[in-house]
Amino acid sequence: MLFPLLSMESVPEMCYDVCTRWLSVGEPAIHTERLSKTYDGRVFALHDLSLDVAQGEVFGFLGPNGAGKTTSVKLLTGLLRPSEGSCSVLGLAPALRPGDVHRLCGVVTESAKMYKQMTGMENLLFFAQVAGLKTEDGRVRSEELLKRLDLWEARDKKLQAYSTGMAQRLSLARALVHRPKLLFLDEPTSGLDPESAQTVNEMIAAMAHDEGVTVFLCTHQLRYAQDICTTYGILNRGALLACGDLETLSRNAEIRMKAAVRLREGEEPQGFERGGDGWWRTDILREEEMPPLLKSVVAAGHSLYEARIVKPTLEDVYFRYLSLGGEAVSP
Amino acid sequence: MKIISMPERAVVKKDFREIWDSKMARNTLLVVPLLLAVAIPVLFLVVACNTPMDQINGVDSMMKLLPQEAKSFSLRQSMFYILTNTLFPMFFLMIPLMTSSVSAASSFVGEKERNTLETLILTPLSLKQIFKAKVLGCIFLSAVTTAVSFLSFAVIVSIGDIFLGMPFFLNWNWLVLLLFLTPGVTVFGVVFMVLVSAKSKSYIESVQTSGYIVLPLVLMFVGQFTGLFTLNAVIFLLVSVVVVLIDIPVWMIASRSFTAEKLLK
Repeated sequence: MLFPLLSMESVPEMCYDVCTRWLSVGEPAIHTERLSKTYDGRVFALHDLSLDVAQGEVFGFLGPNGAGKTTSVKLLTGLLRPSEGSCSVLGLAPALRPGDVHRLCGVVTESAKMYKQMTGMENLLFFAQVAGLKTEDGRVRSEELLKRLDLWEARDKKLQAYSTGMAQRLSLARALVHRPKLLFLDEPTSGLDPESAQTVNEMIAAMAHDEGVTVFLCTHQLRYAQDICTTYGILNRGALLACGDLETLSRNAEIRMKAAVRLREGEEPQGFERGGDGWWRTDILREEEMPPLLKSVVAAGHSLYEARIVKPTLEDVYFRYLSLGGEAVSP
Repeated sequence: MKIISMPERAVVKKDFREIWDSKMARNTLLVVPLLLAVAIPVLFLVVACNTPMDQINGVDSMMKLLPQEAKSFSLRQSMFYILTNTLFPMFFLMIPLMTSSVSAASSFVGEKERNTLETLILTPLSLKQIFKAKVLGCIFLSAVTTAVSFLSFAVIVSIGDIFLGMPFFLNWNWLVLLLFLTPGVTVFGVVFMVLVSAKSKSYIESVQTSGYIVLPLVLMFVGQFTGLFTLNAVIFLLVSVVVVLIDIPVWMIASRSFTAEKLLK
């Protein structure tokens, strides 16, 4: 069996074990325990979600449509009440103290829109005032965010004149206006062109880094997620399949890194497999295996032109987990 | 102690702006008071002053509606007295009812329809604070509109009183109506709309639903002119008590149903 923990019955326990590694580092920013939600009493949109997200992490919450990502965000921000289980955000129960949770968190969801009749600046000033900032503080912060998110030129335009990318960046500014400690971002780059999506992702990464904000990012876009996230959770059909950093996830899914070499045409190194691109590959467990491996290739009399280590991508890991632990989704 | 905090005041100001930006809500808030408190009284005043009295049908049955203190009035004065004390109060009550329900429809259902309610709920304001700010904002807007309407109405009717040589129109009927029934009706318009907002998918649908709450007023109007009863201060007071007794549970139910899960269904 490739990965015994991948049977659906044992998945939640495994994930919790993996995630509790962070607990020793500090109090988790997000803690859920057997968190479940059913809308009709029969089908669970989210089932037994147990995880911890440490402070300062950029946590990528990945899964196909309908996996339960948005339900999780709504439970963690107090928009929904759990059917079973519990959760806490920065030590607060969202279902009991949603206002306090919102004071510490910024939330961007696809369905939370801003006021179309107001300009970008008016929108931010309004949300700053509602968050309790003094008028002048709100103005300074709004100006800072508008400049940072490249919206300064459009600050006096009504929101209805904004493009999708601009509106999305303004939503991000709205979520950041009261200097939250934690950001919940549900598909923040959905519907954006690749250029805008990359800009938004870079901003998320920069803000997480500069302001020390913990980020809970739900996304489909695995390449971007790999660039900005430090840890990941993979969700499918309401169940958490796996949780951890990319290295842990790859190891647990038995996806190894590979040593790849390109030799003179016609040469065949022992223990390697030839790929379609003409490169020869073999599995390695650690990067440290690479130098002796290359020495042995050279010692065997091969002409080594190029060599590299190919690490598993988030995409490799994601689809492996989905195919083994739930519904297979084609790339 | 402040009635509302600064963040709540920001919500109220934002709601006023949204109501003003909505063509339908703005028109209702301007046209309904203008029509019911200005145009119709002016029209009836002109008619009362210029119609030859011998050409009016049903004068006898109309005179039966007159109370004791108006028995000495001339036919023209009696006609204007009846208009001022039986017809105009019904028209006037439509103003707080319509303005409160239309502003509440924009504030609650409109916000839901525009997908901005979720964003507002995600702010540090609690649901209670959002509910309070929105309800108080709608009540305030309706109260101001009603007060301005009454002042305009009072000027027109006073001109009629002077022109026809009648005493000042403001009597116990009007005082009870203004001080008790109007606030009760205003609150009802708002909280009824909050209840409707949980079910309504669109602003138009909710405004259409608010048509039902005008029905009791129509019944009161019909009841008077069929001779079933004559409205006076005591009846207005009793109706006010009933409206307030309805307001309290409806407010409580509306407040309890104002939860994120129900609102964002």
